[in-house]
Amino acid sequence: MIPDTNLINALARLLIFPGLLFAVPAAWFFLWVERKAVALMQGRVGPPFMQPFFDFIKLLGKTTPPRSGVAGLLMRAWPLIAVSAAAGAVGLLPVLPSSGGFEGDLILLLALLELPSMCIIAAGFSSRSIFGEIGSAREAVLSVAYNVVFLLAIVSVAASQHTFRLEALAQLPASPLRWLGVLAILVCLPAKLHLNPFSLPNAEQEIYSGPMVEYAGPELAMWELSHGLEWVAATGLVATLAAPHITLVWLAALIFVGLMFAIVLILSTLASATARLAIDTTVRFYWQCTLIFAVLAISSALFMRFRS
Amino acid sequence: MERVCGICSNIHTLTLCQAMEGLTGQTPPPRAQYIRVIMAELERLHSHVLWAGIASKLMGFKTMFMTCFEIREKIMDVLAAISGNRVNYSMNRIGGVNRDIDDPAAILAMIEQLEGEMMKTVIPIFTTSSTARSRCAGIGVLTEEKAISCGVVGPTARASGLGQDLRRAAPYAAYAELDFEVPVEKAGDVRARLFVRALEIIESCKILRQALTKLPPGEINSGEEKFKFVTGTATSRVEAPRGEVMYSVSWKEGSRNPNRVHVRTPTFANMPAVRWMVMGARLADTPLIQASIDPCYSCTDR
Repeated sequence: MIPDTNLINALARLLIFPGLLFAVPAAWFFLWVERKAVALMQGRVGPPFMQPFFDFIKLLGKTTPPRSGVAGLLMRAWPLIAVSAAAGAVGLLPVLPSSGGFEGDLILLLALLELPSMCIIAAGFSSRSIFGEIGSAREAVLSVAYNVVFLLAIVSVAASQHTFRLEALAQLPASPLRWLGVLAILVCLPAKLHLNPFSLPNAEQEIYSGPMVEYAGPELAMWELSHGLEWVAATGLVATLAAPHITLVWLAALIFVGLMFAIVLILSTLASATARLAIDTTVRFYWQCTLIFAVLAISSALFMRFRS
Repeated sequence: MERVCGICSNIHTLTLCQAMEGLTGQTPPPRAQYIRVIMAELERLHSHVLWAGIASKLMGFKTMFMTCFEIREKIMDVLAAISGNRVNYSMNRIGGVNRDIDDPAAILAMIEQLEGEMMKTVIPIFTTSSTARSRCAGIGVLTEEKAISCGVVGPTARASGLGQDLRRAAPYAAYAELDFEVPVEKAGDVRARLFVRALEIIESCKILRQALTKLPPGEINSGEEKFKFVTGTATSRVEAPRGEVMYSVSWKEGSRNPNRVHVRTPTFANMPAVRWMVMGARLADTPLIQASIDPCYSCTDR
């Protein structure tokens, strides 16, 4: 029996390109870009190019004290689920034009992008550490605050061009509503990636990195990798929506990666120029964003309807 | 006594030497008094900038932390240019100081450059950054009444509206001859403490400029190596970067060592007030509130 070509395609995307072959090196690369950019802005030398990779390998080689029972099992499972979800999200990105995609893949991408955050919340509570629990509670509140803007942005982007296919969105010319959506996604990215000024769940000085406090060794390596993959998936989503449509494959891929690089630089600059906000200020900020964005999106949609 | 604290090491020897000068009848020459002021103010700059760095780190503002520590390094360079040391300066001795400032103009140039940097970075960022403001305003409030009842000292007291400063109230060294303001804020919150320290940085630069320009000629110490102590107890109080430091030294004539040396450091006086500051505060703010009194555990433990 000949296997389903769709299945082979999907597996190839997940395991070869842009899955593991692109996603993992890109995750390390963007982690390095973020660390190096912040270091240079702070007048430091910063880590060498291979440092995120060395960190990962070193953490993999450490042994951690075993945790018995369901809590131990769950604590080992959460980072693996987070890595798989984030890698899956990167696998859906149209890094190269006409490389696949299916009806509704934007919704799946959203779900996969949300999974690592859920895993972090669960991991903090599973660790039974007071700092982990506070971090998880913060992550949950933050998630509720920014996800309304994030979902509204995605829905308006999809509604403006009548499709939930990433591939199709990448090829269609951008509308004003889509740019509004891209802007709203950009506003949500610092919270999604736990960057300043919204780095509350992993605040080192307040709650000792929150949900990650009880993690070490290979499991921590997996969390680091999942964080890097989240960087690639989140910046990749913005790059997909913002990149101009170009038929030349290598040029399109180059512009795609270039845009991701630029977004990482913008986010790093924001992170290094701000202090960490408290939870109530953050929630107020995102609910205000939701209100502003909702008004703008509805008026833009009405304007488009009248024009057509 | 220099090793009581790694940040205000000079203040501890200065206070001890002043107390011992009371027991030996020594008076330091005017040049030594000015050099003592210069060292004390440089140390205040160093301490306030270091504190600003730590406070930024607790707010999650790591760039500011790095900027502050970069400036602190330069202040330490000035201290090293005068004393030859970066942390324990060995400047004070009974009856004067150990080292002279040979080229005050060069030190003045270094300080003016530092002042320019601080006015461009630390002070505007702390006073205008909206994220920093949102983390400091209205938190950790210590009212004036509570400040009096807790007996707080230094910038913590001045941020709660108490205009106390020993450099003004009981001048020592050459402070009586220098012109400076004592910044006082009424709000009593973390932002007020931050403001007071930022303004004190500006005032310290003003004092340094005057002291280096007016540096009188002459000897830097009495030249004596052996001292004759009288029986009795002498106390000395100075305004350290964190507030009042008090030394009490008891000596018995003919003895090689003092009977008793008692040290009271500012953190010891300020620490109990934290209990009132953190009441009703969010967990996220508690590290910053505690840091806002600029606690020094080595001082408290002495």
